[in-house]
Amino acid sequence: MKTKMALSIILGLVSFVLVAIMFTQFKTVEQTDITAIETMREAELRTELTSWKAKYDEVQEKVDDTKNKIAEYETQLNSSQNTSDVINNEIKDYERFLGYTKVTGQGIEITLSDSEDKLIESLDLLKLVNELKSAGAEAISINDERIVTNSDIVSVNNRLILVNSRKLSSPYVVKAIGDKKYLESAIIIKGGYIDSIKAAEKAIDYVLKDDILIDSYKEEIKMDYSKEVEDND
Amino acid sequence: MNRKQIAIVLGIMCALLVMGIFIQINTVNSSYTGVAKTKTENELRDNVLRMKEKYDIATEDLKIVQQELEDLRNEAVRRNSSSEKNKETLSEYNKLLGNTDLKGPGLIITIDDADSMSILGDSYQSVVHDGDLLEVLNALRNCGAEAISINDHRIVSRTSITCIGNVIQINGEKVGAPFVFKAIGNTSQLYGSLTMPGSYITYLKRDGIKVKIDQVEKDTIIVPKYTGVYKSDYASVVE
Repeated sequence: MKTKMALSIILGLVSFVLVAIMFTQFKTVEQTDITAIETMREAELRTELTSWKAKYDEVQEKVDDTKNKIAEYETQLNSSQNTSDVINNEIKDYERFLGYTKVTGQGIEITLSDSEDKLIESLDLLKLVNELKSAGAEAISINDERIVTNSDIVSVNNRLILVNSRKLSSPYVVKAIGDKKYLESAIIIKGGYIDSIKAAEKAIDYVLKDDILIDSYKEEIKMDYSKEVEDND
Repeated sequence: MNRKQIAIVLGIMCALLVMGIFIQINTVNSSYTGVAKTKTENELRDNVLRMKEKYDIATEDLKIVQQELEDLRNEAVRRNSSSEKNKETLSEYNKLLGNTDLKGPGLIITIDDADSMSILGDSYQSVVHDGDLLEVLNALRNCGAEAISINDHRIVSRTSITCIGNVIQINGEKVGAPFVFKAIGNTSQLYGSLTMPGSYITYLKRDGIKVKIDQVEKDTIIVPKYTGVYKSDYASVVE
């Protein structure tokens, strides 16, 4: 009887110690969970670094760009009384970015056409425009309808395609100005845009050119509801 | 007999506890290797922090030079009163190009992957894809949205939405679900067309994708400015 009790007590103590050790362990595990960057592994750190680098490059580019403009203003302000030129230049630049001017340059011209049983859909054009933008296209038009910041590409009754609310019909000629090799590789990549269009048995063709001409946007982009955020907001 | 039984039960208990401890020790060990401060990892960590710092400094620089440019512009206008109108045009263009933060009424649309519980065989449909974002964006433009951002990345004419592997990028930056669209425009017009029967939003909802639309009537939606730079290296103006 006595030995039995002693045995129980010893075993009880051993169990207690073991449980205590386990809890200590649990605590240690929790504590190792420190800040995100400390626990990041090599691969994660590399992507993190690339993304910060990209952000930095972007901002730095903007700084340089602004500094160039400052230099322009300064020379203008120092050399003559006529300061309207420098503002006009800036306006011209902005008009080019907005799509208000006719532009020319090297690029690609892609033609998508309806066949008897396969029609080109608005989504085909939407995706193509997106691909071209991601390949750095500086100006894009579809059947001479310029793609600007608020351009939409929709279909009506699955038959008519509207770009900027204008009716277009097949063949759809998509023009893009940019690095032509780069634009080409973006769509001919294996499993990329051209492959997907061909898989759907739709007709697509393209040519690279050095003198693509893209017409200007004919309307005025309007903002009625958007107000500039002031610094004291 | 009775004694033997107790011994066995206690033996098993001890074995379980010891096992528990070993599992714990293992976990701790592996999580330590996670934090293992190998030389490359330490270097990378330093580099990330340094790059962050550079970014912060550059952002400050940008504010300063932009202010400087603005001052020079004002000076130019002051000297030449005919520039006054040009300056207005310039600030209007800045709005349109996405160079300024904008506020106004409109919609805040949150789109998130379907709950894993509701997946009925097809997991492709329960996830929000780059194509979905493209469609919603196009729908917003179609019903007259003036300024749009997705997860606070301003959408401009140059913006593309791409997917590499399973990472979606907007303006070259990684974004993930939930996707929050902010769109400034006529609230009821935007809401009406987006939720019309047959619209892309209704189609997403049918697939189990979670869509929440907040209608904001006051000027409280803020669409941040575009952080990129417009370039025209290939396109030249035809006079």
